[in-house]
Amino acid sequence: MEFPTIFSITPDEIDLNDLLSKITLTSTGAAAIFAGMVRGTTSRGEAHDTDYLEYEAYIPMAEAKMKQVADEIRLKWPIVEGIAIVQRIGKLYPRTPTVLIACTAAHRDTGVFDAARYGIDRLKEIVPIWKKEVSPGGESWVEGHYVPKAGE
Amino acid sequence: MNRVKLLFFATLRDRAGTKSMELEIPSELTVQGLKEKLSVEYPRLKESMSSVLITINREYAFDEAVIPSGAELAMFPPVSGG
Repeated sequence: MEFPTIFSITPDEIDLNDLLSKITLTSTGAAAIFAGMVRGTTSRGEAHDTDYLEYEAYIPMAEAKMKQVADEIRLKWPIVEGIAIVQRIGKLYPRTPTVLIACTAAHRDTGVFDAARYGIDRLKEIVPIWKKEVSPGGESWVEGHYVPKAGE
Repeated sequence: MNRVKLLFFATLRDRAGTKSMELEIPSELTVQGLKEKLSVEYPRLKESMSSVLITINREYAFDEAVIPSGAELAMFPPVSGG
C-alpha cells in the first residue's frame, strides 16, 4: 500500500482535520503534528510586537523541496506512514497558523515525533519561502541563515 | 550568447525593482560570473551578492556551476519559511 504524502503552498486556511484524515490509514495509531503561527508579541531576544507577516514562495521549487523533505523523512524513519507539509502564504495576522507538518505512524514510540521535528527544521532550511514582518516600527524581510550544500 | 530567465524574491526583488527579467549571457558563464555581471549592471544588487542564494532550474547552484541555455534562474536571500 502506498503511503500518502501531501505537500502544498496555499493562500487558504490550513484545515488540520482534513489533512489528518488524509494521512490516517487503518494501520495508523499516532500522529505528531507541528503547527507554527504568527507571534504577535516576541519576548525572546529583541522584544517587539508584530502587526502581521506577509509570506511569499517560489512555488514550483518550494513544492519540489517539500517533496524532498518528505523523501528524506521516509529514508530516516521508514516506519512513518503519512506525511503532510503545508505552508500558508499571503498576509497572516497574529495567532494564525502559517505552517503545518504532520507525520503518522502505527505507534507513538516509533520516532514519529522526531520525524515531524525534522520536517519543520528542514523546511526552514531549504524550502524557498520568505516572510516580511510588519511591525509598529516599520517593515523588514526576515532572512534565514542556512546556506544549502551541493545536492540539497 | 544564451537566453535565460532570472527571477527575484524577497529582498532581491525589492532591490532589483522587478520580479523577473530576461537576460542574454555568454555561453559558459558561471554563477560567479553572473553575480559579477549583475553587480556591475545593477549596482543596487551588489551588496546582496555575498549572501545571495542562486538556483538553476529550481535546484541550488554554486559559484562554479555553468549556466545552461534556456535556464530558469532565481536569486533570493536565505529562506525564512515556517
